[in-house]
Amino acid sequence: MFKEEIDKRFPDRPLECGECKKGLAVRYTEIVGDSVTQTSMCADCPELQRRLHGTHPKTFIANQVDASAALECGNCGTTLEEIKRGHRLGCPECYTIFEDILLVEMQAANRLPARVLSTKKSVPIHIGHSPGEKLAIHPSSRLLALNEALKDTLNREDYEQAAWLRDQIKALTENLKSEAEEK
Amino acid sequence: MNLPDKSHHPLLCNQSPWNKNPNAIWLGSTLRLHRNLEKFFFPGKLPTDKRKQVISLLTNDLLANDQLKNPKLIRAEDMPPTEKEFLVEHFLSNQDFHQAYVGEAFVLDETGEFLAVLNLRDHLVLEWIDPREDLENSWDRLVKLELSLTKSANFAFLPKFGFLTSDFTQCGTGLVVTIFLHLPALLYTRCLDEIVKKNKEDGIEQTGLQGNPNEVIGDIVAFYNSCTLGVTEENIFSSLRMLATKVLVEEKGARRHLKEMSEPEVAHIKDKVSRAYAILLHSYQIEAIEALQALSLVKMGIDLGWLKGISQIPLNHLLFACRRAHLLCHYGQKISHEELPHKRAEFIHQALAGLELLI
Repeated sequence: MFKEEIDKRFPDRPLECGECKKGLAVRYTEIVGDSVTQTSMCADCPELQRRLHGTHPKTFIANQVDASAALECGNCGTTLEEIKRGHRLGCPECYTIFEDILLVEMQAANRLPARVLSTKKSVPIHIGHSPGEKLAIHPSSRLLALNEALKDTLNREDYEQAAWLRDQIKALTENLKSEAEEK
Repeated sequence: MNLPDKSHHPLLCNQSPWNKNPNAIWLGSTLRLHRNLEKFFFPGKLPTDKRKQVISLLTNDLLANDQLKNPKLIRAEDMPPTEKEFLVEHFLSNQDFHQAYVGEAFVLDETGEFLAVLNLRDHLVLEWIDPREDLENSWDRLVKLELSLTKSANFAFLPKFGFLTSDFTQCGTGLVVTIFLHLPALLYTRCLDEIVKKNKEDGIEQTGLQGNPNEVIGDIVAFYNSCTLGVTEENIFSSLRMLATKVLVEEKGARRHLKEMSEPEVAHIKDKVSRAYAILLHSYQIEAIEALQALSLVKMGIDLGWLKGISQIPLNHLLFACRRAHLLCHYGQKISHEELPHKRAEFIHQALAGLELLI
């Protein structure tokens, strides 16, 4: 009873996978005779695969990666296997070496917007700003969002909310105007 | 607030943009920009002497920047663990600052709104926290700062992948924006998922206060952009802003609905709020998560007029101040871990003096 209290004492920190420090998804308890071992693992932990299927993590990943597994960045020594295991890249060169694989991995992790997936290869992927370029974002994006929300509430005939939104829009427009005048 | 005399970084304790935040729903946002230097390995593969070189290369300009108010460089090895944890709490970070060691460093300034992390995962992460609902202004400051750095440093960039980061899922803009909203009414009436599903664009994800999407702490939901490549900075801001505004309006609506509901229907929520009031004011010891959960209900109770005697500002401040590193820092690290839950309870009693239950 008392022991449980102590365990609860530090719930502030997120628990981590013992292998790779990602968030914890699985807690594996193995009971053999009198000994109990507990392992904490993330959802895509190679260690988990090993426990479930009995394969060694390295062989498991090697099976997945097959022939191209030998690929390695000549600059920093990061291997394809490491990338597949979720390690970070080692240097800017890695992007040139593993170019296509990175895109596939990003797509698999759902980190590419639909625009990139649907367009042809010749269209640039990166469309954000470039080094040394100054890019201000007009404060009207806030106004746009408020207007959009206003349209929604009016459609629902929620007039009380609409009135609040209108006040917000009015205040913001006046603010922007006075700022523009100051400039 | 009493300053601990032992701490050699008063920046950590006396400045907080979070203790003048009057918002009931929009708690704040963080903007993070990841950058790496050309011609250097990423920090994970970089030997210590080179890491030190990166620090001196980047900090010369950072410390001289006139946008920052008296910026200071603090090397990770000179920083006690509590202060690293304080940074995690204060800057709402899900990075593991407490593992920082030799060759890694932080730059802080006196406003308490700016943080630069050097060599932790990327050579440089610039972060601004914003409690004022003013994303565009924060972005402006961030990009100006970045621009001034590019005069002497070349950031790794490829036309195809944009700015290069050690985690390839953050390349492109290298920008991650997170908006924190306090949504108890939507969570208790179980409407949040439906509303988010209806309004969410691709590339926006939802998570909890400590970076775990399945664990909502203190009814605070964080929305952030999971796509950094293939989108412009403007896309990121406008889609997040759009979602956050709509969710905020729904939360306001849900709160109004709670206020108008008749007695038997709303009784269980009123019960939760008054229990939360009792826990905060009468517990002898309390854990951080329990405190955050109760504070959330009291915050909503104040907004609904079920409680009075205190404004949103001290409550928003408490959301930070009751957490472990903040408390340790406040008490000058003189308390042991065993005493902490009791000290936290005491601290909350003081902060909430004058709070009155009306239901």
